[in-house]
Amino acid sequence: MDRKKYKQMRVFIAFFVGLIVSIASTRGSYLLAVAGVVTGMVFMALVRSKVKIPTDERELAIQEKAARMAYAIFAPTLGIASFLLLLPSKGGISVFSKGEWLYIESLGMVFAYLALFLIIIYAISYHFFNKKLGGGGNEK
Amino acid sequence: MKNKLKVYRAMHNLTQEQLADKINVSRQTVIAIENDKYLPTLGLAFKIANLFKVKIEDIFSYEENNEN
Repeated sequence: MDRKKYKQMRVFIAFFVGLIVSIASTRGSYLLAVAGVVTGMVFMALVRSKVKIPTDERELAIQEKAARMAYAIFAPTLGIASFLLLLPSKGGISVFSKGEWLYIESLGMVFAYLALFLIIIYAISYHFFNKKLGGGGNEK
Repeated sequence: MKNKLKVYRAMHNLTQEQLADKINVSRQTVIAIENDKYLPTLGLAFKIANLFKVKIEDIFSYEENNEN
């Protein structure tokens, strides 16, 4: 199986999973949705094992750049959003009724922890790859 | 960085697809290298040079501007 056929198969499997999940959601059957997704994952793994995909360094470079940009956009957005959501509750600004405050503050907390989680993952992976690629040592 | 990949490919009667298969990359990568849109890694540059049995500097030449 070549790369083109692999891509076609992937689209077909994704379409199949989408169809099963949409049928499951209209019928309200969670079991069918889970079965559809699991079947799709199994088929995807089977197809992937049959094909020899060359590691394309240009694709890797694109993925690296896209990941860097996604991080550069997503981390500050999450941080600022959490700050803005948490700020009114600390400042005592009464824009929302008491019940709504809980949701806004909770959302702010969730965003803040997500931002923290993202930064921690970045820091750990940075440290790992820095070591792996020969950085961090002090040998002369 | 400038390169003569297209010239060497033509000299060896290879299509972009054939060259891509030989150096284990996609055809889009070969196209991008030929059009100076993508700089190959040192490993890939060596692979290309070995395939055509020439030195790297015969295919790739360094220029100051337009680095990616």
